[in-house]
Amino acid sequence: MRTSHASVNYRVRMVVVLTALVSTVAGADDKSSCPGPDCVAVTDAWFADEVWSKVGVMECIKCHKQGGDAEDSRLLLRELGLAKDDERKKLMTLNRDAFARVARLKSGDQALLLIKVAGGLDHGGKEVLKTGSTGYRILEQFVRRVNSPAATLPQTPLINPDAPPFFDGVLMLDDVRLLRRATLSLAGRLPTKKERATVEADGLKAVPGILDGVMHEDAFLERLREGFNDIFLTLGVDGNPDATVLSYEHFEKTRLWYQKRDLSHITDEKERRQAGYKLANDYRAALLGEPMKLIEYIVRNDHPFTEIVTADYIMVSPFTARGYGVFDELKDQFSNPDDPFEYIPVKLKALTGRSRREDQESATGFYPHSGLLSTFQYLSRYPTTETNRNRLRARMYYQHFLGVDVLELAARVSDAAAVSEKFEIPTMQASECVVCHKTLDPVAGLFQDYWRFEANFALYGKRKEGWFTDMFDAGFEGEDLPAKERWRALEWLGERTAKDPRFAVAMTEHAYYILTGRRPLLPPKDLDDPLHAARSRAWQEQRQQVEAIARRFVDGGFNFKDSIKDWVLSDFYRADGLATAATTPAREAELSDVGVVRMLPPEQLERKLTAIFGQPWGQLTNQTAMLYGGIDSKEVTERATDPSGAMGAIQRTLSNDVACRNVAYDFSRPVADRILFPTIEPDVRPGASTESDMQIRRAIVYLHQQVLGRADEPDSREVDRTFALFAGIVADAASKGIDPREVWSCRQGLESPVPDPHYTVRAWRAVVTYLLRREDFLYE
Amino acid sequence: MSKDRSMRRDFLKWCAGAGLGLATPIRFPDTAQADDSHELPAYDGPYYIVFNASGGWDTTYLMDPKGVGGINRLYEEGDILTHGVHRFAPTAKHKEGGLSNEDFYAEFGDELLVFNGLDYSVNNHSPCSRYMATGKLDSLAYPTFAALVAACQGPTCPLSFLTFGNYSATGNLVAMSRVPYLPSLKRIANADAIEGNERSPYHDEFALSRIEQALGERRADRARQPLLPRRDRAENMLYAAQINSKALARVTPHIPQSIPKQRLAQQAEIALASFKAGVCVSANLSIGQFDSHANNDRDQMKLIPEFLEGIAYVLHRAEELQIREKLVVVVQSEMGRTPTYNKGDGKDHWSIGSTMFLGPGIKGDRVIGSTDEKQFAVPLDPTSLSDDKERGIRIRPEHLHQALRQFAGIADHPHSREFPLGVAGPEELRGIWG
Repeated sequence: MRTSHASVNYRVRMVVVLTALVSTVAGADDKSSCPGPDCVAVTDAWFADEVWSKVGVMECIKCHKQGGDAEDSRLLLRELGLAKDDERKKLMTLNRDAFARVARLKSGDQALLLIKVAGGLDHGGKEVLKTGSTGYRILEQFVRRVNSPAATLPQTPLINPDAPPFFDGVLMLDDVRLLRRATLSLAGRLPTKKERATVEADGLKAVPGILDGVMHEDAFLERLREGFNDIFLTLGVDGNPDATVLSYEHFEKTRLWYQKRDLSHITDEKERRQAGYKLANDYRAALLGEPMKLIEYIVRNDHPFTEIVTADYIMVSPFTARGYGVFDELKDQFSNPDDPFEYIPVKLKALTGRSRREDQESATGFYPHSGLLSTFQYLSRYPTTETNRNRLRARMYYQHFLGVDVLELAARVSDAAAVSEKFEIPTMQASECVVCHKTLDPVAGLFQDYWRFEANFALYGKRKEGWFTDMFDAGFEGEDLPAKERWRALEWLGERTAKDPRFAVAMTEHAYYILTGRRPLLPPKDLDDPLHAARSRAWQEQRQQVEAIARRFVDGGFNFKDSIKDWVLSDFYRADGLATAATTPAREAELSDVGVVRMLPPEQLERKLTAIFGQPWGQLTNQTAMLYGGIDSKEVTERATDPSGAMGAIQRTLSNDVACRNVAYDFSRPVADRILFPTIEPDVRPGASTESDMQIRRAIVYLHQQVLGRADEPDSREVDRTFALFAGIVADAASKGIDPREVWSCRQGLESPVPDPHYTVRAWRAVVTYLLRREDFLYE
Repeated sequence: MSKDRSMRRDFLKWCAGAGLGLATPIRFPDTAQADDSHELPAYDGPYYIVFNASGGWDTTYLMDPKGVGGINRLYEEGDILTHGVHRFAPTAKHKEGGLSNEDFYAEFGDELLVFNGLDYSVNNHSPCSRYMATGKLDSLAYPTFAALVAACQGPTCPLSFLTFGNYSATGNLVAMSRVPYLPSLKRIANADAIEGNERSPYHDEFALSRIEQALGERRADRARQPLLPRRDRAENMLYAAQINSKALARVTPHIPQSIPKQRLAQQAEIALASFKAGVCVSANLSIGQFDSHANNDRDQMKLIPEFLEGIAYVLHRAEELQIREKLVVVVQSEMGRTPTYNKGDGKDHWSIGSTMFLGPGIKGDRVIGSTDEKQFAVPLDPTSLSDDKERGIRIRPEHLHQALRQFAGIADHPHSREFPLGVAGPEELRGIWG
């Protein structure tokens, strides 16, 4: 099989990164100089920091572990997983001992370990480290130390006991601004007065309780769905979902129910046609929405988040229930049977084909649900082909649910084409291929009964010839799928996934991604990078945080809201500035990823505008949303994180237009109803009196608070600058013979006339434009 | 205001001279101020277009013909055609639409440089795409060549790096721009005017100048404060994006009245209008569906001609826009296809492939590198550029990328040094561009 036998090597994010706590293994008293031949603690620290972090976990453990391709070799290592301190220390010691045992072996007069790692003595993993590379030199040093314990340790301290705390000198958001960031991010709204008062009175400890309330709001649940779709991309199912989610083979008679809907009560033909379109569109949207509604249901009801791979139900609405053919039996459970988007959990019966041959096998008579994994949307979004053999699905499974990107970092093969020629079944015989396929292919085999290639026709269906024999057998991480479990293979997988420590870490990372728009750091690979130590520290600090939150997530029964709260309260989310500039490249490297600093994606920007101005801009949709870095979940699946010139232009338009719509309008309203200018009128001019200037400054303070969330003093530098802008424009206008009215487009829909003889309304509009173009509005 | 404009220009010049775009985390000089200038200098070339045949093309149906050993069902070895030193597969009788190899080589063969026998090492889409686009297999951090050259040569251009697909990582050096539709260009061209109508500005000119001045002063002020590196960089990029976006007004005259139907032509019009307006340095153009695991010949005979037609379209339109002499074209795919057919008449992934180059400074009518009769790469002497099975080396994407960086004059740029390719001096392809 050639399609994906590639010599891929996979970076096991969780496995690799769960070494972050290695520095703690050594203990705080370790010194850089070895006090004597038995300086075990120092050796431990050195092993953890150098051998394990830079070689063992990056290379060796991919094969030299239980279930790995080299599990029968003399070097068998242990993954650290989510082990806590003592257990972690124990595992690290076992790994050190395993390395030490091999380091004592020789082939001729050379160390076996060094020969093997360089590809000699028929090493299954071929050349892992080049002779003379940094990794190789580390192993050389380890071999020397093991065979001559008195050998000198490196002079440079590996763990600097005097290093200041990682966040030393980093300024955190104050509690009120943290609250604003969190409510805007999670629920698209400003904090209420009561919430503000609570935090002002009780400080940070009040935030979790408030977030509990926020996370019950519909806006949060919408944000949750949006965030998880960025990860799972199930809205990107190809074609019309009434065909590609509900297939002809199993839903032939029901999936197109809307075409038979009697709309004859609508007498106008055009209206009737439009109603038909709406019916179809709502139905399709409801079908696409089901997977994310499952996540919403789990979180809303505080179910264990493991249900995203174990739930024995799906979410259906009155419209989609008709598509599945189960509406009649469910209709009494819906509050409104005509609401396309009211979802309830439902367990489907096993699929019935047009011929009995295509009936789904089921020991219980029910469809073997396993959360998202077995939804038709997920299977259709990640389809398979005759040659791909479900490997795409397996790859996405690892990425989505265990945080393992199988293809992220591929190892080099000297000649992949030659490997294809040399081996009859490279994926089972060539070690560079086996390293990956031994993990990937068994999971691909678990999807074997979803073996149809035209989603429109069918998703479920068995391969006539039986599953491939030139692939590793169906299973998971070394455990074969029992034959009696085949009918529920994905359920079987889901049960194991929920127990895998990588699952909790992956979900914690998803929470981080949703909050920050970026994925956690990867371990630095370039051992020769002069900033490697700094980058490594940044990664380790973040990794410790990920693991700590993941542990609490597990201990708390997998409540996803706990992860969100933990991240919001973490230093990584609260970091906002520096007390003094980072003075060295190393410190800059350490801090390079600290701070949320996220450019708001189009959906969140619209919600923020709504929160502040009471209405959205409404333009950041469709093509403009794409221009502004949005995704379509199909072709464009990664959001833009940096603004291009095109996005800069949209920001200009947005700031101009939103200010145009809101400033004169706000002045036209009764004071009590105003959002932007409740304390000032357009007739207050700068320079007229000390009192008028102070009034303007107070209005600016209010605007800064309202639009930017800043708490500036009236005589602050920021207010000075905004005041100068306002006053400068009014002064410029006074010398220019201006029209005494706002421009036509910006004075439409006013509740009362707002004359502008002194240009103050337009100057305030310029101020709002200025604020909307700033990073403290456009970024999170 | 003229002083301000001058300062602004000086600042941009300073950035460019220092090899730093506004996108990079730099500190503003104390005197830097923004103004309402529309005078961001136009980028005047060279322009770079990278065409990508996404999914993996069958090179034996284009620039590396075989016709032996059952590799091709549509022609025999004796049917292989030539143009100058080029050998290519005959497709005129088999193509479904688009441009045949015969016509493509007849028109462009004299200026075409082909590299055959490129070794991608691996054969999965994701790593191969990354490798071919960046020259680095085992890192997610590296920028694509298109992004790198944009960051080095035109960091202040508002659409410096345009992409329409393919692997498009930027290394955080420059913002990536997606402008999926031609009408989108119009939408962003006049951001300070109501409905884009230049005669209806939102703000009077003096007010807008004050806004820009306040934003510029604030940015300069912030740049003097200790900021988290992420924040510093973000504020810098944001300011640059907004200021530089004004130059997009120059695109308007170059937006064609009608929108072409072909996929590549639509992308090309956006890229070419942006080049012509001096707001863009590089563009990734891409069409997919080359992954012909089933019915290889049918798919490739539809897609290769479509692809070639797109390349020809770009070159013709560039001629009309009078930028052809500044346009560098790279044509690539993330992998080749196996020398054998599978049971479904398809071809699977193959880690050996080819690339094509064309443009000013590239000597055409040349073919470098080769594959043998079984479609394995033949090692190459990087100095003589001739096959050398004994002492030659396997040429991989990093070798081509190193050569591309040298060709573009950016090999020693700080951005390039930040992302080294690790090609040792003796392995550099000497004289590849002629």
